[in-house]
Amino acid sequence: MTAVEPRPAAGTREQLIRQLNGLGALEVRDRGGTQGAVTVRVLAESLEAATHVLAGTSGTRLADMFADTSSDGPVLRLVWAYEADQPGYIVLESGIEGEQYPPLSDIAPAAFVEECEIYEQFGVRPAGGKPLNRLMLPPHAATELPTLGREPSRLPEEVHAPHIVGGQAFEFPFGPVRQAGVESLYYGLVTSGEEVVDLYLFTWHKHRGVEWRLRGRTVLEAICLAERVEGLSAVAVGWAFAAAAEAAAGVTPPPAAARTRAVALELERLYNHAAATAALCQATGLSVGQSAAEIALERLLRVNAAAFGHRYLFGVIEPGGVSRAPDAEVLRRELPGAYDELRRSADALLSTNSFVDRLEACGILTAEQARRLGLVGPVARATGLAIDARRPAPGPYADHPVSVVTAADGDVFARFQVMLGEAAESVRLITQFLDNGTAADGTLVPPGVGTGLGWAESPRGEALAWVALDEDGRITRARLRPGSARNWRGFDDACRSQNVFTDIPIIEASFWLTAAGMAR
Amino acid sequence: MPLWFARGLRRGVVTTRYPARPDASAASLPTPPSFRPEKLTRDLVDLMIAVCPGPALRRADDALIFDVGTCTACGRCARAAPYAATPSGEFELAATNRAALVKTIPILGEQR
Amino acid sequence: MITGQDEAEAARQLREKIAAQFGRSLHIRTLDTGSCAVCEQEIRLLSAPHYDLHRLGFFFTPAPRHADLLLVTGPMVRAFEVAARKAYEAMPGPKMVVATGACALGGVYRPDPFVHGQVGAVLPVDVWIPGCPPSPLALLHGLSVAVGRLAEKTPGLTLIADGQSPGDGT
Repeated sequence: MTAVEPRPAAGTREQLIRQLNGLGALEVRDRGGTQGAVTVRVLAESLEAATHVLAGTSGTRLADMFADTSSDGPVLRLVWAYEADQPGYIVLESGIEGEQYPPLSDIAPAAFVEECEIYEQFGVRPAGGKPLNRLMLPPHAATELPTLGREPSRLPEEVHAPHIVGGQAFEFPFGPVRQAGVESLYYGLVTSGEEVVDLYLFTWHKHRGVEWRLRGRTVLEAICLAERVEGLSAVAVGWAFAAAAEAAAGVTPPPAAARTRAVALELERLYNHAAATAALCQATGLSVGQSAAEIALERLLRVNAAAFGHRYLFGVIEPGGVSRAPDAEVLRRELPGAYDELRRSADALLSTNSFVDRLEACGILTAEQARRLGLVGPVARATGLAIDARRPAPGPYADHPVSVVTAADGDVFARFQVMLGEAAESVRLITQFLDNGTAADGTLVPPGVGTGLGWAESPRGEALAWVALDEDGRITRARLRPGSARNWRGFDDACRSQNVFTDIPIIEASFWLTAAGMAR
Repeated sequence: MPLWFARGLRRGVVTTRYPARPDASAASLPTPPSFRPEKLTRDLVDLMIAVCPGPALRRADDALIFDVGTCTACGRCARAAPYAATPSGEFELAATNRAALVKTIPILGEQR
Repeated sequence: MITGQDEAEAARQLREKIAAQFGRSLHIRTLDTGSCAVCEQEIRLLSAPHYDLHRLGFFFTPAPRHADLLLVTGPMVRAFEVAARKAYEAMPGPKMVVATGACALGGVYRPDPFVHGQVGAVLPVDVWIPGCPPSPLALLHGLSVAVGRLAEKTPGLTLIADGQSPGDGT
């Protein structure tokens, strides 16, 4: 486990925009100057070529894809992240003519889950007739659920295991009500006995329709719901959402408020990694380790409550800034001891061979798989990909660059090591932010027409948000994409590589995602 | 394993005595507000209702109806009206009757 | 159906019965009807060293057949209703339902095509625990009230500040 600098990639922002312009890009809307996201609109017939350009450039990845309605029909938006010396985002926008658009997941496999979602919500599908899976809509819904656009002409197929195993493989459902104190989550397990031949997930039983519900709300009303899309990433998703609204209005929070946000985000990372450690111990049956990690977790949550008034940091992020500043004196006094509790437990775990043996070579993902599926967070970093949403400017991390922690083996042990490295880095960052000064401050977010992209590195990976606001500052379209919405698709692959049933909880703990963040 | 045993002994007991004894950590928990009737006016109550992100606050003529069950203790009403709403410090809110969680607070402040 | 003044007496008898049967050993099953995952984290901490629910005779069980109490979080997503009813019906009587967290009590999500908005729309709730999330202390209090070990404070709470105490405005 080393903290490495990310490799500079070939595609800088200027190069990519130049290539897209060459395809006849219609418009480059840039609110953030040289920083921030840039939106590039292409004609429908150029979308496939543009996707080839972006997918083919080293160091770019498809971070999200979603649709929207407009007076001219449905619009498709692809959010691409590029990892040049100065990383950032390009939002590729294109109108859809008719009911179909080019088969983008053939070019960028990371788009497949989003294609299914877009079909359910907007009734438009990729050309080529590839079967789509059911995602958010429950199969037995008695009432028609409202969609964000036009309903699909034919509802998608059920998800079935793509692998056919000759002989005695059988498929059985597990969940959604599972053991005590865990979220509802439904797996379909395909097995021939002990080993996991295949695994697929459903989260439609937790689909609350948050994007639908946010329409017509002001940003101030909406942020409470945005925080609760995935409460364990409340700061990250709230920050991404607030930043999207700020980008739409062309404002940025004052620096001291931005540093307050960063302190909260790092505290969120710390407690989540402690919770993941406890979950790993529980999954491996090491009760003493679990208790030790839980002591650290509880201490960290109490630090959150003492510093910010809420154990899970709800209500800190506000549009334009933050609602309160951390109690710096309490934080400086209490955080070192709480972190030390975690570090000492982790050291003891790393010396416990029976524990380490369970983690090594379990749930392996390769860098190629992570890249192909567009994975983010510790899961991706543990395969060697140095992706971190704290790197793109603008933001408080510009003055306090993050040492991105990566590992090479891509197994559960690598993910655990990445989390431990990140926890140490978080403590270092919090100290620096406090030294530089934090404040309860904000800038007014004036109502007005605009669109914007926001991002933050949640404990489980990059959280993205995109908003479109009308002249009253009310939301016409909100897109919320927590880290979990990206990473669950890697869970199938991780469970498939020579693992048995008892490995599944261990792999789940090492991913540390939520069903809520996927289902929304 | 001896490593863990020794660690555990050295670490000692952290378990709370709650509910037999109070727990000090409760002091930093967020709690729903209490209201000062003499500071409440209709306009102020309507302001608090407007900033509340949930359905916790409602006005019925000269009474503030507060459903604690739906309160998330976000603190927005207290920030909008700091002399009228302050943290109650109450976190032991479990109820066997749903109606007991709906409180009526008279609006006694002067109309301006 | 019990109505009127019979209600208070029936409630008292039920509570005594509950205290007699569940007072020493209570097995809890958890049910997530669409939460944001934070309520679950607080519930998990009940078995952590700081709180240790076992010292109070409370235990978690994954098996509905062994469960006495169903601890429910989330706003009851409509697509989950069938699973929620099955989880409840799989538990043998006597049993209790405790709705926990603002979502489960009707806050955060109003009723709409996606969610019922509260657990009580589908399951018969016996005890309500407010909070977002309810802390492990609040959960221990609520569970103790549910088994009749602690008297509830809510009926006596007015949430009217008396103006005598200083009370900071933050």
